[in-house]
Amino acid sequence: MRWTLRILSYAVFLAMLFVLVSIVVSGLPYLFRPGFFTAWPRRAMSEGGIFPMLVGSLMLMALVFAISIPVGLVGTIFLSEIAPRKFSLFLQSLAATMNSVPSIVYGVFGLALFCIKLNFGTSLISASLTLSTMSIPFFMNSAVEFLRAVPKELREGVISLGANKLQATLMVLRASRNGILTSLMLTLGRAFSETAPILVTGAVFYSTRLPGKLTDPVMTLPTSIYAIVMNLGESSQWMAKGMASLMVLIMMFIYSVVQITRRNKRE
Amino acid sequence: MFEIKNLYAFYNDHCALQNVNLKIREKGITAIMGPSGCGKSTLLRCLNRLNDLIVGFSLKGQILFRGQDIYRIKDLTEYRRRVTMVFQKPNPFPMSIFDNIAYGLRIHGVTKKSILREKVEQALRMAALWDEVKDKLKKPAVQLSGGQQQRLCIARALAVEPEVLLLDEPTSALDPIATTKIERLLEELAQQYTVVIVTHSMGQALRISDEVVFLYEGRLIENGETSAIVKMPRHEVTKQFLTGKIG
Repeated sequence: MRWTLRILSYAVFLAMLFVLVSIVVSGLPYLFRPGFFTAWPRRAMSEGGIFPMLVGSLMLMALVFAISIPVGLVGTIFLSEIAPRKFSLFLQSLAATMNSVPSIVYGVFGLALFCIKLNFGTSLISASLTLSTMSIPFFMNSAVEFLRAVPKELREGVISLGANKLQATLMVLRASRNGILTSLMLTLGRAFSETAPILVTGAVFYSTRLPGKLTDPVMTLPTSIYAIVMNLGESSQWMAKGMASLMVLIMMFIYSVVQITRRNKRE
Repeated sequence: MFEIKNLYAFYNDHCALQNVNLKIREKGITAIMGPSGCGKSTLLRCLNRLNDLIVGFSLKGQILFRGQDIYRIKDLTEYRRRVTMVFQKPNPFPMSIFDNIAYGLRIHGVTKKSILREKVEQALRMAALWDEVKDKLKKPAVQLSGGQQQRLCIARALAVEPEVLLLDEPTSALDPIATTKIERLLEELAQQYTVVIVTHSMGQALRISDEVVFLYEGRLIENGETSAIVKMPRHEVTKQFLTGKIG
């Protein structure tokens, strides 16, 4: 019995490892092609590199962070420190519900609200607002647990010295900073790999220039993988493989940072 | 120092303290005793108005501090500087040893480095911790042992130059050696400060307190000089407590 369990669990992990490794390995050689990171794609993505997609994804992430971090932090502080307990749990269950809404629904929502209603069009700003709509509840849901885990003795200790509520909150943030960082990284990972919401709100298959302003459309890594696989022939598939490999490597990096901060927290 | 008149405390509908009347003397150690759930922590926390944080807490009656009703005080920051608190579980802030002690001072507007340094050293010396930490003031306070952390918390409370030190079972999470150190420290501090300590260790109350207050089910059943009460407890519950039948 014990051996059966052991073999089964190894099999599960081997299967998972196989998925990751085969994705990374199949695209790895292309990452070393000259100009892969610095050149524009040419000849229907069969030559050149992924420069605009990489920069587009980075720009998108920067905007998502600029929007989500302040809003998410304020929301998290409200949930953990300000809102009455019951109301806070209600709001948190709303946030949890939003987490399980399929991402294409966010895409369609963003398309209706940001692209059409607010007239931002298919653009960097529409895509980053849509992604933020999705990332903020995700971030809050994760970060609020770290704030709640701060022992109440710490809050009371600060207050008992004469500090006000704001100073106590800052202390709580300080005490949970590793947890907040973890939540941020997880949010980053999620937003970075999300495809559907930006597919319909901001991404284009091909653009001849980088977005110069917020209302320009953008090329990104995940949407380009999708576009290549769906629309292009055999001679372009290598680029999708290379990008997939790169994305998995980046995600591995993000998650190892999360693991390291968690380990530091324990020490 | 404190005069408590007809004090009732409630958590929602639950009545935690009933008609408590008590005077707490200046200087010396007053121990608040009683079995778990008798309201002793509630009483102590009222003195620092820490219960204000708890949703559903309400209070009737008066607590006078040097004649002033503390529940009418507007400037709680200053009041809490004068009446500071140490908790059951050591709660060092997630920062260096130095910054832990300096935190209270900074809240109260001390920014000059030389003054901060001087006061931090003074507080650590008073809490008998200076020799153990003087070479690692920049180290995170959480790296200290439990007993050291608790003395750090005492130093932090002393740094703001209070008049009263409230302690809520400060040694219940510590080993006997660390406990002894803290008890000695409290005895010394009691010459300068008013110390009010909640404890459910009879032995501790006997060792260090000058006066003792017995609470039972939210009521004050007996109080007075520790030595007198030990010799001649008037109340049945106190007798049982002293002989170890309850508590």
